[in-house]
Amino acid sequence: MSSDLAALRERLEALVGAGNLTVDGAAYAVDGMVPALVVRPGTQHEVAEVVAACAEARAALVPWGGGTAMAMGNPPRRLEVVVSLERLDRVVEFDPDNLCITVEAGMPLGRLQALVAERQERLPLDPPDADRVTLGGLVAANQSGPCRLLHGTARDWVLGLRVVLPDGTRIHCGGRVIKNVSGYDMNKLFIQSFGTLGIITEVTVKLLPMPVCRATVLGAFTGFAEAAAVLAEVQASFLLPEALELLDPAAADLLQPVLGLDSRGTFALAAGFSGSQSTVDRQVRDLEAMVASRGGHARTFREAESDRAWTAITNVQGGAAPDPRRVVCQLAVPIARTAGMLDSARTRAAAQGLAATVTAHAGSGLVCAALLPGDDLTEAGLAAVTEALREEAVGIGGSLVLLQAPPRFKARVEAWGKPGPSFAIMRRIKAEFDPQDLCSPGRFLGGM
Amino acid sequence: MSNKVLVQELRRVVGEANVVDSDVHLQLYQYDAYLEERRPDAVVFVHSTEEVSRVLKLCHAHGVPSVPRGGGTNLSGGTIPFKGGVVLEMIRMNRLLEVDKGSLRARVQPGMFNLELGQALAPLGYQYLPDPASQKAATLGGNVAENSGGPHCFKYGVTTNHVVGMTVVLSDGEIVELGGMAPDTPGYDLTGVFVGSEGTFGVCTEVVVRIVRLAEGVKTMLAIYDSIEKGSETVSAIVAAGMVPATLEMMDQLVIHAVEKSLACGLPLDCATVLIIEVDGLKDDLEEQTEAIVRLCMEHGAREVRVAKDEAERALLWAGRRGAFGAVARITPSYLVCDGTVPRTTLPLVLKKVAEVGEKYDLKIPNVFHAGDGNLHPLILFDWRDAEQKARVMKAGMEILELCVQLGGTISGEHGVGLEKMDAMHLILSADDIQAQLKVKRAFDPADLANPGKIFPAVQEVSHVQ
Ligand SMILES: Cc1cc2nc3c(=O)[nH]c(=O)nc-3n(C[C@H](O)[C@H](O)[C@H](O)COP(=O)(O)OP(=O)(O)OC[C@H]3O[C@@H](n4cnc5c(N)ncnc54)[C@H](O)[C@@H]3O)c2cc1C
Repeated sequence: MSSDLAALRERLEALVGAGNLTVDGAAYAVDGMVPALVVRPGTQHEVAEVVAACAEARAALVPWGGGTAMAMGNPPRRLEVVVSLERLDRVVEFDPDNLCITVEAGMPLGRLQALVAERQERLPLDPPDADRVTLGGLVAANQSGPCRLLHGTARDWVLGLRVVLPDGTRIHCGGRVIKNVSGYDMNKLFIQSFGTLGIITEVTVKLLPMPVCRATVLGAFTGFAEAAAVLAEVQASFLLPEALELLDPAAADLLQPVLGLDSRGTFALAAGFSGSQSTVDRQVRDLEAMVASRGGHARTFREAESDRAWTAITNVQGGAAPDPRRVVCQLAVPIARTAGMLDSARTRAAAQGLAATVTAHAGSGLVCAALLPGDDLTEAGLAAVTEALREEAVGIGGSLVLLQAPPRFKARVEAWGKPGPSFAIMRRIKAEFDPQDLCSPGRFLGGM
Repeated sequence: MSNKVLVQELRRVVGEANVVDSDVHLQLYQYDAYLEERRPDAVVFVHSTEEVSRVLKLCHAHGVPSVPRGGGTNLSGGTIPFKGGVVLEMIRMNRLLEVDKGSLRARVQPGMFNLELGQALAPLGYQYLPDPASQKAATLGGNVAENSGGPHCFKYGVTTNHVVGMTVVLSDGEIVELGGMAPDTPGYDLTGVFVGSEGTFGVCTEVVVRIVRLAEGVKTMLAIYDSIEKGSETVSAIVAAGMVPATLEMMDQLVIHAVEKSLACGLPLDCATVLIIEVDGLKDDLEEQTEAIVRLCMEHGAREVRVAKDEAERALLWAGRRGAFGAVARITPSYLVCDGTVPRTTLPLVLKKVAEVGEKYDLKIPNVFHAGDGNLHPLILFDWRDAEQKARVMKAGMEILELCVQLGGTISGEHGVGLEKMDAMHLILSADDIQAQLKVKRAFDPADLANPGKIFPAVQEVSHVQ
């Protein structure tokens, strides 16, 4: 450890206490880069002091929530300090009557959901791994799940944020009312900023009343065309599903033991409904009929069973111990092109002999493809498929980002793709907020 | 540069007829729906992204500020050319460029009126949800710049929730695309940051919006109360019961009288307040929902609840609500609209306090507002020719904003800061908060030529805050 770092370590220790600082950063490596120090501030004020101390020492830092999105992005250009938000996990204020809650950024999403459920409320954001995802991480990485179809993403639910800027200044954005145009909408700047503009320390979100009824219809189809046809039919109808997930046979297979899908080797289309008894019943009925009319096979799950089904579907790309060689890409395309993109990812992978699991938030324009090289396939082949998919997505106005990949692979394939002309504005924003380039340097778009 | 030279150069870029600089013309562009005035040096009618870019390059080269103008209906002085310069008249860029039903997106030019977009989409079975009460005369560009709301925000959110991409010309003439047809564009969410920037980041020349199917069914109710407190309590009760109506709008007696005088919508003149409540969605449970809401209203002291029997009755109720500001404008020479927002449950309290402010300053303050959002619109009536009265109005307005902030709310829910609320910004933002916002402004508009002099108190004022 250099003398500068030793001095910083002493300073940080004095701020947070020796028990909340460690030099063993192995568990907090970012793309293989191990930090010299891991510090766990206990209050928002302490976060500000830690960040200010790092800024003075010109030490590069990466904020760390639940760690679920740390595989995204480019490897950091530098990394001295990981700032873990795990101790910032308190409720600041819960105002159930106004459907609103404020929590510290390290609060896990699952705990927040359990807490507001006691008052028959929920936050309709459902990324995988809800027990590990923290609110700060969810916001910074703009994580979402199947429910985004009806309920949107973080930008539709965040009312306010507190942020520590790269020089240690504390600011707040927004507030706790549902309409707010008092100055610029600064919340939007920090949502999906990937720790490059500072550290989010507090999050205020609005909530929804818990629906009376929930149900999930899972349709199984022998062919892609039938699944896609039902999808299109639902989209053109009056139905208001909360979620619409399309799964290729490999993904559907993974659900087989949990959901008892009837036959293997099928495509699956899962539709989630919530609301009053009569609207849920009607939608289930309509969807079952659509599935049957295309020769598919439908199973319906209700209430707690429906919840269990969604947990399984949401986490189907996760798995207990993902293979470290795995490359997971997210393709974003116009909504009407989603099913086609899923099919293309699947066939391209198969043509290269890759084992692929492909799923889609089918009504939202997002496809997730997890690719695994066969034993004899080189990384070059994997890269070729990824690049081909990126070209296809970009060609129709979309993008491909790597959700997870070995660091070596990221040296071949850009994690975010090529930035467009608006990148100049982004770079100016970054330079304004982080002139020393200390917050997650290099991890974001264009090596920003 | 002298005005003459500027106008000559502008004419070379956009053609003789598209630049106006006569006194009469400029007078038309020196005001909007707020109370301040300032005359521009020239007005330029623009027709395309490229033309906007050429005009802005010219302005940039000469250090001339510019202000885009849509319908001019904003209530905060957003289109007043505070530092002179050029007004860009956007109204001719009013075409619907593309509707992609499969992808639920439409691409629109910013000069199109909000209502026109609705009318173009409806025959296709689709709609664009944000619907400010001014939708007949407000443009999508103005909606984007103000992040406008409307009577259906409680369920569907405001403009920012429905704008997913845009083409923007920066003040140096550079053309950039933000967001687009596909979701989750990598990088900072510049679309989200641009919405609500009140013309101070650049000129939006194309918008990509989210569209949705028209609802299968809709039911509209009018709940009538003898006490304004009971009415506002009902709003919270409906939400507490787990219901999410599309609309929860409120009008008090003074507004009802004004509306009846000019529109005759059949509202009762002897009540204290009415709530307009609308539920929409799948038709299966609308009857059920309506009954539940009627019951709740009656339990919370409504005198009567009328359910619109058909589209004509529904349209009449909405004509009254949408025409409320206009109707009030006919009974007073001028009014100041406050736009403070509070947590919904504090509505009964804040309405009482607003009435107290009216008494204290001896001013009439009718209320018409988005109750479900906790977004107040006290309209402070006065006569602009009476300077003493105007001073009292400004004080009363500030006091109402302070009230909102004390109750956990904010100074503007949907009308923007503009020139109007610059002095109230310190009520909610620290000097550091403001500095952070200015960083974003500099990143978009380093030369400070895009609608300068708005939103933020002058720097010397900022420094003595906190
Ligand atoms: C009777 C009445 C009722 C109203 N009801 C509501 C309501 O229910 N909800 C609500 O939110 N507001 C309401 N408003 C306020 C107003 O209508 C909105 O702010 C509206 O969005 C303004 O649109 P406009 O086209 O008139 O914009 P303008 O007033 O012309 O401009 C507003 C701002 O937008 C900027 N701007 C305009 N076009 C562009 C562009 N292309 N690119 C960049 N910036 C641009 C201007 O510079 C200015 O700062 C109401 C106003 C009135 C008079």
